[in-house]
Amino acid sequence: MISGPALISRSAPLLACLGLLAIWQVAALILNTDSFPTAMEAIRAIPSILGDKESLINILASLRRMTIGFSFAVVVSIPLGLMMGRSRVVASFFNPLLMVTYPVPKAALMPIIMLWLGVGELAKILVIFLGVSLPVIYHSFQGAKAVEEKMLWSGAAMGLSAAQRMIRIVLPAALPEILTGCRTGLVLALITMVTSEMIARQSGAGNILFNALDMGQYDTVYAMIIIIGAMGIGLDAAFERLRGRLVKWSEPGFDIPLSFA
Amino acid sequence: MKVLPSLRGVQAEAPPARKQAAAMIEIDHVSQIFQTSGRQDHLALSDISLTIEDGAFVSILGPSGCGKSTLLYIVGGFVTPTKGTARMKGKAIAGPGPDRGPVFQEFALFPWKSVLGNVMYGPRQQGVKSAEAEAQSRRLIEMVGLKGFEHFYPKELSGGMKQRVALARTLAYHPAVLLMDEPFGALDAHTRTRLQNDLLNIWERDRKTVLFVTHSVDEAVFLSDKVVVMTRSPGRIKQVVDINLPRPRRRAELLLDPRYQKYVVDIERMIDDTSEDELRP
Repeated sequence: MISGPALISRSAPLLACLGLLAIWQVAALILNTDSFPTAMEAIRAIPSILGDKESLINILASLRRMTIGFSFAVVVSIPLGLMMGRSRVVASFFNPLLMVTYPVPKAALMPIIMLWLGVGELAKILVIFLGVSLPVIYHSFQGAKAVEEKMLWSGAAMGLSAAQRMIRIVLPAALPEILTGCRTGLVLALITMVTSEMIARQSGAGNILFNALDMGQYDTVYAMIIIIGAMGIGLDAAFERLRGRLVKWSEPGFDIPLSFA
Repeated sequence: MKVLPSLRGVQAEAPPARKQAAAMIEIDHVSQIFQTSGRQDHLALSDISLTIEDGAFVSILGPSGCGKSTLLYIVGGFVTPTKGTARMKGKAIAGPGPDRGPVFQEFALFPWKSVLGNVMYGPRQQGVKSAEAEAQSRRLIEMVGLKGFEHFYPKELSGGMKQRVALARTLAYHPAVLLMDEPFGALDAHTRTRLQNDLLNIWERDRKTVLFVTHSVDEAVFLSDKVVVMTRSPGRIKQVVDINLPRPRRRAELLLDPRYQKYVVDIERMIDDTSEDELRP
């Protein structure tokens, strides 16, 4: 038996979505323009997109790029961030670079990258990589910096070498913070994925969206927005599950309000 | 070593014959200067020399900021002294090592490891087989009174329990010297008393060398063979007091023992002579 308040907080996300759709529906009916389909029309267009083989291949290609870019970024950024957090020299070298590149929208680099690498996979993966790297580096850096000195001393007294302390103490101790960075990175991967496909239009979810826009198929445009949003929610919820398992030992201070998990 | 005039009477009745033990740790003219940002350098320890014998329980007592923890970190090899050397069994201390096991006020447990995982960490690092390390660790966990909590994470434990785990974790890799840095400082009075009793019981079994940093006079007298009283910044040794009270010590008996009371009062006076009244109860 679920108590009243628990029931409300459980169903709140669903209620919020339904509310948004309702407002959308009413607004579209009032405005009544071609470029703003009603929520019902957009939802009705979803099955035809997901049923179309071509579109599915495009969406899967997007997810593939995103996965590759995200994975590379995580593999490179975590060690870099941890080293920055434990070495003043490394930090003072990379920190200014980080501060300069952080506010630059990574998709804005897309035209330049396209000049070097063309409009293919590599350019898009690189942009996703850049988008994911910064939050992961930043949070790994903060996490490593906050590791209690005495914890490292305890490890040193047990005979752990500097490298072992890095992998076996700094990494797990900073993990909650690292995963916070990865979660932000995951959402940014989705955003940069769509924007990169919108600039370098060849394939992908962003491409479907903007092709439909060019052809005035507004219900498809909005359906795609819903699909991309749903992908975001799904990925985030899956990641939260994983995060919850990996850092179940951590103090509750690290918890972020859950989305749909 | 100077002996307080007022303690001579006590000194006369010889302590239960402890053999002339070998020096375990020698601190030889150690000074520590910390560079503070911009301002003048801070002299934390000034010319400290001290010998700690094998099997002795020695407390370093002093007001906060007297550098007593720094002295312990130097012995641990975590801090390199600006001047002088510290030696362990005649060999200069160059860094941390499993022969010196620290227990910190902040516990410093590995929060991603269970109680058992924390205690097993040291033995596993030293190549003890998993099954054997686990068996040993379970015995230690039982010894510190945490049987049944093997699979709890540190966040699920109280402060006193965490410190018990930290003690077991350090004992698990058999250091020759225990370095305890105000280990009970963050605990409430009741828990503190219980842990002091338990520590004494454990210590009286195998008599490891212990270097124990505290700012509590009662705690130092209750536990130690020797109390090193330090002055405030720069940290210097004011006096070393031998505590000739019989062991095993029982708290209830000791509190009523006039010799114990005299030690406490004398040391408190000694501290009041030099420094602020921080140490008065």
